[in-house]
Formats: sequence, structure tokens, C-alpha cells
Amino acid sequence: MNREAPLALGKGVKLRHDRDGSVMLLVPEGALMLNASAAAALELVDGQRTFDDIVGLVVERFEVAAEIARAELDELFARLAERGFLR
Amino acid sequence: MIPRPLSLLCELTYRCNLQCPYCYNPVRLRDYADELSTPQWESVLAQAADAGVVQVHFSGGEPTLRRDLPELVSAASRQELYTNLITQGTFLDDLLLDRLLAAGLDHVQISIQAPEAEVADRIAGTVVHEKKLEVLERVRRRDVALTLNCVLHRFNHDALEKVIALAERLEIRRLELANVQFYGWAYRNRAALMPTREQVYHAEAVVIAARERLTGRMEIVYVRPDYFDDFPKPCMNGWGREFMTVTPNGQVLPCPAAAAIETLKFENVRDRPLAEIWGESESFTRYRGTQWMPEPCRSCERREIDWGGCRCQAYLLAGDAGLTDPACSLSPAHDAVVSLRDGSSQEVALVARRA
Repeated sequence: MNREAPLALGKGVKLRHDRDGSVMLLVPEGALMLNASAAAALELVDGQRTFDDIVGLVVERFEVAAEIARAELDELFARLAERGFLR
Repeated sequence: MIPRPLSLLCELTYRCNLQCPYCYNPVRLRDYADELSTPQWESVLAQAADAGVVQVHFSGGEPTLRRDLPELVSAASRQELYTNLITQGTFLDDLLLDRLLAAGLDHVQISIQAPEAEVADRIAGTVVHEKKLEVLERVRRRDVALTLNCVLHRFNHDALEKVIALAERLEIRRLELANVQFYGWAYRNRAALMPTREQVYHAEAVVIAARERLTGRMEIVYVRPDYFDDFPKPCMNGWGREFMTVTPNGQVLPCPAAAAIETLKFENVRDRPLAEIWGESESFTRYRGTQWMPEPCRSCERREIDWGGCRCQAYLLAGDAGLTDPACSLSPAHDAVVSLRDGSSQEVALVARRA
């Protein structure tokens, strides 16, 4: 994953907000249940923001330590990118 | 508590222009000729979304033989359902592709029979392989997710490396290599299709190496042959837990192969609301959860991992859908699987599926 390039969801990948408030990432032939912080971060993936932009916004909005947010998102995004869910 | 259905398989028609002998469709295809109309399918999709379904798979038979496919994809998209088309691809020209993408199609799964035309066309019973390669080339350039699928059996297992190489050449992001599941036509052809032990062991090694080499470029989904495993597959992730199928004539099944179970009566969307069938019908409640389980499942620590395996396989091989899947090495009927598997060196003629 290139941390300086704009990030977008992969082909056939969609965020879905459910009636019961839960958020899922719908992917080819599967669905991943997201926790609140993962959902909030993926919400910010819009094809323009970079990884650093997203970390910055998460830190600002959720009052978490920058180092912790960066480490968590780095792991999550790398995992999703490896499966083609982020591009 | 009644679980929420997440996924719906719409088998729009059992008609198909190919005759693959590994097809899981029922052998008695003419029972399904009275297909649901467009408004009836639209109602199924709306009811499914209301019941909690998030993902819908359009399959068959060959779903593109239904001329209303783009309308149905559009109806599903309006219900905010994720739409997946499972096709053998031969009718996916630019015009149809345009219409499907405009309707909101999210993902396409296209199957090939083998990596090379000679074997592929022999398995399909008609000349289609070159056409499929053109279609794959066309689809991968479009803004839609694509999975390439190849069902593995004795006649193409040895070409596994070539399937992976083809997928690499086409820059496929997701490759599904699925060992044949023995239902419907495939059950009828089970002795001929069964891979050999050598083929299965070789495949495991090939897949592990390819996954490592292609990490980040291609995801390889490998469906193991359950006849060769110690424990059964968690079929449908449990009966009536997440998944349902609607057949071309409107029957609602907990598993696409369940129509083979003649001791259960399956209900029809023409007669009863989908949510009631899911929640209350005997066909869905009979094997839901763990209460129904006999030994050795009942006291097994894996009972909520594999959910007793496959009910259809228990019915077909042990004569009772309420028994432990004979694919399990702990099943008293496991011999039925062992003898099928170990008889796999004999040569038996294939029966082509009727079109």
C-alpha cells in the first residue's frame, strides 16, 4: 500500500450501513463486520484522501493518540489492500 | 432466536447451453420448467432485503438466459443488495455487460472448464473456451469485480498450474479453484469425476506455493475435496443460519443441493412469505442449530465449527439427512466415502448433463 497515494475501495467493495447501526464491508462473495473505528476510517476512503490524511482525521475526530491510530490503521489497511479491497 | 439470513442465491433458470457432467443442478430438470416471472422475482428480492439479506447471487443453470436479468439486478440494487452474477459467460457481450453494469452489478464470477480449449470444450460438451477467454478479457477491463472459477475433478486436476498461469496472464484478482461437490449431475457422475489421492495431494502443494508467490496480486480461494478430509465442511455455515436458495420455480432451500432430500417438504414463495419460510418452516427449522444432532456430533467439540457437515451428503450416502455427514471420519457411515474415494482409480464413463 502506498501511503502517499489517494486510497479508494477496490472493485466490487462497498460499505453498507445496516438498520441496526452495524457497518459491513461487502466484498465479492462475502461480508466483513466492522468495528466502530474500522468503519469510521473506511468511511473516509473516498478516492482522494491518502493514508496520512485519513489517520489525521481519525486522530482529530476520535481523540486517540496519533501513534496508536496510525499503527491500528496501518495493520487494517495493509490487510484489506492485500486482498484487493483497497486500491 | 432465529438467525438473520445474509445471503440469497437466486437460481433464475436451470436452462444452460453447456452440459458439464459436474453440474450440481438436479437431474430431474423438467420439474423446474415453470419459472418465476419477473414480478415474482422482484418480490423475492424485496422480501429478502426486508428479512436482512445483504448479498444476492444470480445463478442457474445459466442466468443470462433470462432476458430480464438486468431488470432483476436493478431491482436488487434498489433494495441496496450487493449483486453477484455467477455465469459461464458465453452470452456476456458488450451490450449485456453495459446493461448489467448500468443496473448496478457489483461482481461477476465466470467459470472455465479447463485452461485449454481441447479439454474444456470436451467437458462443456460444446465449443466455448475461446469465447470465454474473449469474455474474460472484456470483463476484466470494466469497472466490476471479477472472479475466475474452475471446478476441479479427475479430468482437469492435473492442469491446475495452467489454470493459475492463465489467471495470472489475465491479471485476475480473485481465483476460485473448487473441487467438485457431489450433488445432482455430479453425484450421478461421482465415480468418474473423483480425483485421485495423488492429484489431491499435488494440488494442495501447488495452491500453497501459488498463494505465497501471488500475495497481494491474486487471492486464491481453494475449496478442498471433503471426501479426502478428516472432518466435514461447515456446509452453508450451518443449515438455515445465513443462507437460502430460491429455485427457478420458487422453492426455498436451505442449501442449493437440498432438493435431493426427499424426506423434507420444501415450501414455495408462491404460497408463503419468504421470512416465514426462513423462520418457521419445518424444512428450515429441522436441522437448524445443534439440537437435532445425533452422536457423534452431539457431544463433539467441533459441533459449532462444522455444524454436522452437509445434510444432503448424509441423505445421499447414509440414507438419513439427520445423521452426521459421512465425510466425517467419526461418522459410522464413513466407509461409504472411503470406498468412493479409494475406488477413484477405475475408469467410468461420464454422463453429460441434459441442456
